[in-house]
Amino acid sequence: MNEHRRQILQMLSEGKISADEAERLISALEERPSGSSQQDVSDSGTKARPKYLRVQVDSEDDGHEGPTKVNVRVPMQLLRAGVKLAGLIPPQALHRANVAIHEKGIPFDLSQIKPENLEELIDQLSDLSVDVDQKDHATKVKVKVFCE
Amino acid sequence: MIPLVAVVSLRGRESRTLRIWVPLILLWLVIVPLAALFSPLIFVGCLACRIDPFGAFSVGWQILRALNDTEVEIEHRSAGISICVF
Repeated sequence: MNEHRRQILQMLSEGKISADEAERLISALEERPSGSSQQDVSDSGTKARPKYLRVQVDSEDDGHEGPTKVNVRVPMQLLRAGVKLAGLIPPQALHRANVAIHEKGIPFDLSQIKPENLEELIDQLSDLSVDVDQKDHATKVKVKVFCE
Repeated sequence: MIPLVAVVSLRGRESRTLRIWVPLILLWLVIVPLAALFSPLIFVGCLACRIDPFGAFSVGWQILRALNDTEVEIEHRSAGISICVF
């Protein structure tokens, strides 16, 4: 909220908006909290938090290998605990793990996984849905990652 | 609640399914006294590795509790394995 107010005041000081417009914008901002909180309540009421992360892999091979199916259901609580476990890893071990990950060509920093950001991460995962279809001449692979 | 039972299903090429109910509670009954016995060693080991032993215990307990409802199924050709933890 303070950020919005500061932006309005900055626009006023730069002459982009008049004093009347700034006053109207600030009063509109002051009216927003009750409306936005009602919206949050309705959102949390309708949108249930996901309980599981599900990974499904379907691979169809026209050759001798035959079809392969993988279906994994991981509780979100396990993800939470896993992130907390990562927070316990000593810095030296994290550094070595990061180096190994970078050597594999994966640009990921394990030290950025922090328990403080855990709920935000879980919230973002609730909207996650990844579908990957790969078709070769003999193989058809379908990967689906989603939350439920 | 920690998981009490794991169900392991094995399916062979003859489409015969072998379902094994593993009473994890018996495993916990064995592990808990052992963990209590070796807790001083675990504590010292954690301190030597610069890991907070209480934090490690807390996270270990959370992982144990979170294992409930975990499900893994792998099928290849006509064979398959499925592990469900309750």
